[in-house]
Amino acid sequence: MPGFLYHTCAVMRREATRLARQPMYLVLMVILPVVSFTFFALLFGQGAIRNIPIAVLDQDNTTLSRKVIQMIDETPTALVAYGIQDMTEGERLMREGKVMAIVLVPPFFEKSILSNTQTHLENYVSGTNITVNGLLSKDIQTAVTTFSAGIQLQLLMKQGLTETQAMAQLMPVRFDKHVLFNPHINYGYYLAPSFMPMMLMIFVVMTTIFAIGTELKNATARDWLQTGGDSIWAALIGKVLPITAVMFLISLVMLVINFKVVGTPLNGSLAVILVGTLLFILSYQSISVLIVALLANLRLSLSIGGGYSVLAFTFSGLTFPIMAMWEPMQWVSRIFPFTFYTDLFVDQMLRGTPWVYSLPDLCYMSLFIVLPLLCVPRLKRVATEEKFWGRL
Amino acid sequence: MNRFSRQIASYWRQTGAVIRNEMHTIFTDKGVMLVLIFALLIYATAYSLAYGSQVLRNVPIGVVDESRTPASRALIDAFNSGPNVYTAYTPTSMEEAKELFHARKIYGVVYIPADYERCLLGGSQADVAIYCDASYFLMYRQAFQELVTAIGKTGAMVQFQRLIAKGANIPQAQATTQPVIYESHNLFNPYLGYGTFVMPAIIMVIIQQTMLIGIGMIGGTWREFGLYHKLCPPGRRRMSTLPIVVGRALVYALIYAVTCAYVLGVHYRLFHFPMNGDSWTVGLFMSVYMAACIAMGIAVSTLFRYRENSLLLLLWTSIPVLMLSGVSYPREGIPSWLFDFGQLLPSSHGVDGFIRIQTMGASTAEVFREIKWLVILTIVYGGLACIGIHQVIRRELRQRQAAKASGGIPEKQPAK
Repeated sequence: MPGFLYHTCAVMRREATRLARQPMYLVLMVILPVVSFTFFALLFGQGAIRNIPIAVLDQDNTTLSRKVIQMIDETPTALVAYGIQDMTEGERLMREGKVMAIVLVPPFFEKSILSNTQTHLENYVSGTNITVNGLLSKDIQTAVTTFSAGIQLQLLMKQGLTETQAMAQLMPVRFDKHVLFNPHINYGYYLAPSFMPMMLMIFVVMTTIFAIGTELKNATARDWLQTGGDSIWAALIGKVLPITAVMFLISLVMLVINFKVVGTPLNGSLAVILVGTLLFILSYQSISVLIVALLANLRLSLSIGGGYSVLAFTFSGLTFPIMAMWEPMQWVSRIFPFTFYTDLFVDQMLRGTPWVYSLPDLCYMSLFIVLPLLCVPRLKRVATEEKFWGRL
Repeated sequence: MNRFSRQIASYWRQTGAVIRNEMHTIFTDKGVMLVLIFALLIYATAYSLAYGSQVLRNVPIGVVDESRTPASRALIDAFNSGPNVYTAYTPTSMEEAKELFHARKIYGVVYIPADYERCLLGGSQADVAIYCDASYFLMYRQAFQELVTAIGKTGAMVQFQRLIAKGANIPQAQATTQPVIYESHNLFNPYLGYGTFVMPAIIMVIIQQTMLIGIGMIGGTWREFGLYHKLCPPGRRRMSTLPIVVGRALVYALIYAVTCAYVLGVHYRLFHFPMNGDSWTVGLFMSVYMAACIAMGIAVSTLFRYRENSLLLLLWTSIPVLMLSGVSYPREGIPSWLFDFGQLLPSSHGVDGFIRIQTMGASTAEVFREIKWLVILTIVYGGLACIGIHQVIRRELRQRQAAKASGGIPEKQPAK
């Protein structure tokens, strides 16, 4: 065992000089991750989405129609950018990408309201962007509902009801809305924490595959193994751990940017997040080792590893929930440690879930560390037999 | 004149040689084929499958019913009658609901107080509390909207009955209950399918990214083994890089014409994505987009010194590039300088224009601005590509001369 430790340290020293000598490592482990975290911090810095342009077709042109249009304009997301004369014009504006919705106020809008008959108001929202669609639909609906409630209130009070009575009449069932964990529906809060780990993961996979793959490409694998005293475990641990250490430090930068710059809340346990992040890094390193050992080819391993890591985002369920996917796809989502990591991250960051509930996620990630290591004998063969070297 | 036609003939031969060489490079290199040809097909399929079900339905919620009366049960039925939520659990206390919530068994809680029916019958206001999880946007939107609608409908029904009981006639009661009927119509994507929303953008970004990485891989290989100068006939000086760029571009265009035809023709039909664009407009737009991507790809590829560099350095940009196109995250939320910076990428114009053509059915005139920008980008990146290749070849020739002078180092050859 002391021999093993000695050899591991020898490989680590060798690795440290390699990391320092090849500038690609600095780029992959420090510069690009920080650049990408900064990018997302800047991108979501504003947090809220405001003033999406819409067009209004006012066929009534009265005090009340202008009032409702003004109320729509005053909502945070909608901005009445065009007053149009007919629907053809509105459709053209929409196809040109200048407006995302068209609100139509029909003729006799005011007259109907004053004579106590029902009227209507149409909203045509583009469905091409469902995020924008969701925001606009919600805000315009709220504006119209508020407008409508104001009219009802006046009608009822004209009948001699007090305001409280009128309110009870108007809204027999009132609801208190509690938006849990992300009360301002801040986009940055749920997008930034998902994209940054994604970036971290891509760089972990790339660096690990690159570190082992270059030994094969440049036919230095024998030297690597000999430094490790011909023990593949010593060689592997000595090679991977320095990268783990650097990437874990970078993940701390990520967490600082996330919690301090983007300003996402931290409602759960930081300790669980830290343990989870470490397991997350290790699990992707383990998978990278598996990929290189199986393919024994730097470039192909990078392609496959890269493809695998980019796919993880879609299957994590952060944007499109896993429970909405087809059953076989739900199974596919479980082959990515990222899925479990984001669950844990959301739980601990936003939901303040007790740490017990995050234990399964931690266990799954640990599985992803242990299982791929079954390929280590193959890695030893790849690192000793010359026929695997120098392949492109 | 004679000199001119000789020059043209020489260009022609050179272009032919470049095309043959490029074809050979691509189709004998598994790595390049994987990125340039298969990546688009694999990713398009994988993402489409993930988003195949398009909409989120049946979000499980919990209802804490303290009232347990016909009125409260009617409200629960109203929740269940919509497509988006269903009452999966009826926990007896908020504490229990919280546990279910943390275990991810439910994504929203409705609390109906004990005096719910009494308030409704007594003519006063009944309170209901909704707790919705906003840590997943789509979940929040589906669940919350449905709950609010159900409560609104139940309330309107009660109000209507009260008015009728007071002796109002039906039209009057209707007008008082709901003076303005609000109707929202979703255009182009009526059920708000997630795949329909995001796939056109993803496909356009994949086209650009696979081109950048694939072309970069070829460029990196050539530089690593010093093969660039072979593209240029010996002794030629003026404008000799233009045929190289044009020849290479033609090969990539040919490959992507085939894969894109498959994606837009077959794949789109398989997954029922909207195809409202006129095929000539789509063809024209895709050609311009492809030209811009190829020009950028060749320009960037001259920067890579090793075969694997393009993958290492460019793969991560895929998601930021998608973000900058203003689709997943609306452009109104992006700081404007960052969005303007994104306009340097063909994908930003490509995604926007393509969605408007294919999903909304815009005409060529309506996407003229995007086409104009793509042409400008093609010219700029094409120029940069010529300059880049020129520089690389000059450096290579200089190194070879230096090597020859110092006794000659045997040329490195890629091991096949």
